[in-house]
Amino acid sequence: MRRTVLTALALAGTAVLLGTGPAFASEATTPSPVPTAAAPTPEPAESAGPTAAPAEPTRDQSGARPAESAAPTPAPADDDDQVSVVPSGAPDTGVTESSSDSGVGGTAIGAGAAAVLALGGGTFVVVRRRRATGA
Amino acid sequence: MTAFSRRAFTTAALASLLTACAGQGTKGTAPESGSTAPQPRSPHRTVPAEQARPLARSVPVRLLIPAIGVDTPVISLGLAPDGTVRVPPVTADDRAGWYRHSPTPGRTGPSVILGHVTVGRYGDGVFRRLTELHRGDRIVARLENGTAAEFAVTAVRTVPRTRFPVDDVYGNVDRPELRLITCGGARTGDGYADNVIVFAALSGAESPTSGER
Repeated sequence: MRRTVLTALALAGTAVLLGTGPAFASEATTPSPVPTAAAPTPEPAESAGPTAAPAEPTRDQSGARPAESAAPTPAPADDDDQVSVVPSGAPDTGVTESSSDSGVGGTAIGAGAAAVLALGGGTFVVVRRRRATGA
Repeated sequence: MTAFSRRAFTTAALASLLTACAGQGTKGTAPESGSTAPQPRSPHRTVPAEQARPLARSVPVRLLIPAIGVDTPVISLGLAPDGTVRVPPVTADDRAGWYRHSPTPGRTGPSVILGHVTVGRYGDGVFRRLTELHRGDRIVARLENGTAAEFAVTAVRTVPRTRFPVDDVYGNVDRPELRLITCGGARTGDGYADNVIVFAALSGAESPTSGER
């Protein structure tokens, strides 16, 4: 009886490990969904509508600057900069399907692990009951 | 151990293996729909030679690019805590966003508008076809005050994201210009390798009475 119980417990543990193993592995193989998913932040701070005209310092109204559309003005602020704050780096304007998919995949694996656990537990109960009734 | 319990254990073990395999399978289904190839530019359309007059300051509310079927609302975007520019939220109704620290469209300087090329599971973003624009194509930015700034494309560039031309995009210019920015190029594990930048110059303006808002 005891041996059976122990065996059942070991099996249930193995089943859980089998279920969670791929979850860890797949997290690693999907190189951090975080960067892409994080960059296009839902930006709670942003005003969703263009109605609020931000108080941007409207500079250079004369339009008489020395020319050249590609004219490099070293990034950070000069008083005459038309773009008052130059962002750093490149904008992340492409969210790939795989990156937004990873959440779904993780959920599926979690559900799989839970199913395996439930199955293991069920088996254990059935076996115990069978043993108790002497079958 | 009885024959029954042995069978039960075998079944449980088999089921756990199958579940584990199924779990792994779902990860491999990320489709690679459509990579963005840089488009050749054909300079067959002319850009108006004379410089249009700057417009009064007014925030953009809508962006239209007839050549690629874009007609989108425009939201206002600021900076993220890490100093990068924010991008529009990832939603089914994707929109473009105007960088609020850049001039409004029609003012002297580079007005910057960003949009997604793809929005994850929602599919194509509003700037999906930006690479199809050619020199001379028309871009219209409708402003809050009822006027509209009309731009003509002067260049379309695809650049590696690691070498984003900050000066070309945000640097001072002597006339009203527009920059449309999205991602493009090869898809990597977590995004795109390149940025697509459309450069355009003001070519005209519409008064509130001449068209719908």
